[in-house]
Amino acid sequence: MRDRLHALRARLERFARPREPEAFPVELHRRRIYVLPTRFGLFFGVLLAAMGVGALNYNNNPALLLMLLLAGAAQTSLLGAHLQLSGLRFVAVSADPVPAGTPIQLRLHARAGTRGRARRGLRVDCAEGVAMLTLEEGVGDAELALPTHRRGWLDVPRLRVSTTRPLGLVRAWSWIWPEQPLLVYPAPEADGPPLPDGAGEAAAARLHPLGDDVHHLRAYRRGDSPRTIAWKPTARLGNLLVREYERPQSADIELDWLQLHGLDPEARIRRLARWVDEAERDARRYRLRVPGHPPIGPAHGPAHRHACLRALALLPGSRA
Amino acid sequence: MSRAASLRTVIPAKAGTHERPTRLDARTRANVLIAAGACIAPLLLQLPRTLAIGIAVAALAISIGSLRRPAAGWVRVVLALALTAAVFATMGLNFGRDTGCAMLAAMLAVKPAETYSLRDARSLLGFALFAPFATFLLDQGPWSLAFGLVAVVLVLLAMQRLSDVESQDVRDGVPPWRRVVGVGRMLLLGLPLALAAFWLFPRLAAPLWGVPDRAIGRPGLADSMSPGRWEDMLLDDTPAARVRFFGRTPPKQEMYFRGPVFTEYDGRTWSRGRWQSAYVAPDVHPTGPAWDYELAMEPTDRRQLIALDMPLTAPPRASMGNDRSLRVDRPLDAVTRWRMRSGAIDRFDPALPEPVRSRNLQLPPGFNPRTVALAHQWRQDAGADDAAIVQRALQWIRREFAYTLQISLAGRDAVDQFLFVDKQGYCEQFSSSFVVLMRAAGIPARVVAGYAGADQNPIGDYWIVRRSDAHAWAEVWLPQRGWVRVDPTAAVAPERVFDTLEDRARANGDLMANFAPVYDVGDWVVNGWNDFVLGFNAERQRAMFRPLGLDAIGSERLLLLFSLVALGGLAATVWLLSRDVRERDPLLRAWHRLGRRYAKLGLSRAPHEPAGAWARRVHAARAGGDAALLALGERFSRWRYGDAPGDGAAPPREALKVLLRDLAAHRP
Repeated sequence: MRDRLHALRARLERFARPREPEAFPVELHRRRIYVLPTRFGLFFGVLLAAMGVGALNYNNNPALLLMLLLAGAAQTSLLGAHLQLSGLRFVAVSADPVPAGTPIQLRLHARAGTRGRARRGLRVDCAEGVAMLTLEEGVGDAELALPTHRRGWLDVPRLRVSTTRPLGLVRAWSWIWPEQPLLVYPAPEADGPPLPDGAGEAAAARLHPLGDDVHHLRAYRRGDSPRTIAWKPTARLGNLLVREYERPQSADIELDWLQLHGLDPEARIRRLARWVDEAERDARRYRLRVPGHPPIGPAHGPAHRHACLRALALLPGSRA
Repeated sequence: MSRAASLRTVIPAKAGTHERPTRLDARTRANVLIAAGACIAPLLLQLPRTLAIGIAVAALAISIGSLRRPAAGWVRVVLALALTAAVFATMGLNFGRDTGCAMLAAMLAVKPAETYSLRDARSLLGFALFAPFATFLLDQGPWSLAFGLVAVVLVLLAMQRLSDVESQDVRDGVPPWRRVVGVGRMLLLGLPLALAAFWLFPRLAAPLWGVPDRAIGRPGLADSMSPGRWEDMLLDDTPAARVRFFGRTPPKQEMYFRGPVFTEYDGRTWSRGRWQSAYVAPDVHPTGPAWDYELAMEPTDRRQLIALDMPLTAPPRASMGNDRSLRVDRPLDAVTRWRMRSGAIDRFDPALPEPVRSRNLQLPPGFNPRTVALAHQWRQDAGADDAAIVQRALQWIRREFAYTLQISLAGRDAVDQFLFVDKQGYCEQFSSSFVVLMRAAGIPARVVAGYAGADQNPIGDYWIVRRSDAHAWAEVWLPQRGWVRVDPTAAVAPERVFDTLEDRARANGDLMANFAPVYDVGDWVVNGWNDFVLGFNAERQRAMFRPLGLDAIGSERLLLLFSLVALGGLAATVWLLSRDVRERDPLLRAWHRLGRRYAKLGLSRAPHEPAGAWARRVHAARAGGDAALLALGERFSRWRYGDAPGDGAAPPREALKVLLRDLAAHRP
């Protein structure tokens, strides 16, 4: 029985608008806002009906008036709930990519006329998560945590924006279904071999306070350690000078798909993802080579990391 | 993952998202409990004093006791059982509608012990709303409704708060009056719809099921009278009826409102005779003026109706016995209104048939021997002259009797004790003893109960008959004249009227006198309420449409009309609700209004555009320029963003007024 109800509900919900993903921005209007009483609302309705029948039967006018006032307020709350959603505009969704397995924070950016109604405590939910959306001065964000399981593009499920305000008697809701997918990075390997050594010739030097070779002298800045002050040149020139050291940087790291033979593709992707992260942590330059893609790099920095992880995430996989 | 797959996985799981019962915070819970308390309070006012206090104390104790953690299950059961026992101990075992109401109050008092989650709170609020409803079954006065309205506002506030909690957006910083205004607004917006339904929704001409009686009766004229029992009623100052005269008003000393007529006497109690219904009294003929009036009778839960002596006809739904006492087909459980006509009549039942005559001479054998002896003595003295005996009795009363509310306990021969020992008492003793004396002398006589006298309310021009106006007098049957009203109490010499209601009121420091105007206004409100709201029924609903030329409006057309008006009300609600929040700054409001006028020309101000820049753009775009707008824009900017508001010449307030007027007057 319960299953059948769920099936019926699922079928009904498939008829609800929107029936397929849509491009943002999206404005909620009366054709896509649905209003139904909540369980409490049904209880309240039965209560009012009982009061009404009793009052009419006894021709008890104060009781009838009381019941009608409550019914009027309930009716107003119904419209109020509808109007909370009506005119609300969702301008964009965004999310910072995360490795598969960690929840992704989906941000919904909503707008409404600044002079409009107060829209507070709107509930945004889907099967996987719940978030609250409150608009201040016509602007508000909701952050919804969605679980991720696999690398690649994550389709945003159809999201329900709902409210039971102001009285909790009715729930007004509307579906939004962002078309834009979210990127999920591959999950890095938990543990495995360390980063391969640099293979190329191009050695770079980088300023490093713990280096051995003096690189140059520069003027003293407050906060420099007294030990770094070069006293002799200082005495010669008359103002404080400090030494700066450099440390030879190892060669660029080659992260090559083809060198990881013997592993299945997903394992290779996860190892490469881990190496990308490790190289980034050590601030080393790296180049990524994956099939079907021109070599990326060598470089480092957030943009490079994103390019590498994106390439890894979007590699065709056995399950994709 | 394909789109279709995502849809399929999302939806079935959706239905399974059940909210975990969240525990309410203390403040929300307090809101809910206060709202429930406000619902029970008016109901408690209608219940017997001791029981009401008991339930109130229990409710408070339970609310405070369960502040931290729920009461154990057995505690709740014991409490519920104890309160139920208390209810039945007070109300007795006959289940009336007041018993039901008391049970409701008792159960609501226990409910806080298990109210912790959102769901509990909501069910408590829902059931609590039945309490004001139940109050109206017991009392429909405007004050009950006022209490009920307060309760409704508090319940709606609590519901709003629960909804805030549910949507995790509780703002404790918002001042309470703002919330009250919000709820008031919601009620007002629903008002058009509510009133349309109230006036236009088809009413039932006859109830589907009857109103259960009360277990504890209201004070009022009963169907029997035991002399010495009326003291409670005589001290009850509440109205029993209100009368509005159309045209002539009888003098105050002639305002005898006829209630039940008692013929049967068992030595202690007078009661109505069942045999009366068989005998049809002959028609009467009015002599002299008649009085047209409308009588609004407070509920009594009895079938007895009162009417000014003598009622000429019975109003619809009432029937008149051969004693010209009016009875209604259903107990009067609500305020009812009766259009009646009374006046003096020539001869009331001049040819008394023998069975009736003997009933009205009946006395319980063996009681009051001295009275019977005196009556025989008088009969011998007077011969056949009944009127002389009546006169002699009245003279005796004037000479030797006194009026007082303080009476001694009656023994077996109550009439003997009154006539020969106490010689003082109030209307019950006077009328009862007088009738016994007359009957013993062979004159048919009976006791009539009702109300004598009324107070005019100068506000609203109507008369109030109070319970304390309750009175009993006598009727004697004299040959050729028929039944004649004799009021033995009125025969008491004025100097021997001792302890009266007025004396007792004076003993209370003339409180009533000082508050008389306040009381008058209060009663006028009640009367208007009775007139306007309580009396509205199927009959009045039909009457409402008569002036509109809709003589017999059927249920269908009424429903149609209701639907139309309801739609109108709904549209009004939607319009009022969907309006934007009103700009509070009058200057900004006027400026926006001006902007909208230009928007019609396609020259609307872009949101990012400063006032000056917009004015210049409009100036450039329009043929002939718009110098006036330039100037206005300049003044607006200076006022809003400049250092010193105003032009310096005029005080700021005046300057703002001028600017507002100019903005309002400007047309593109």
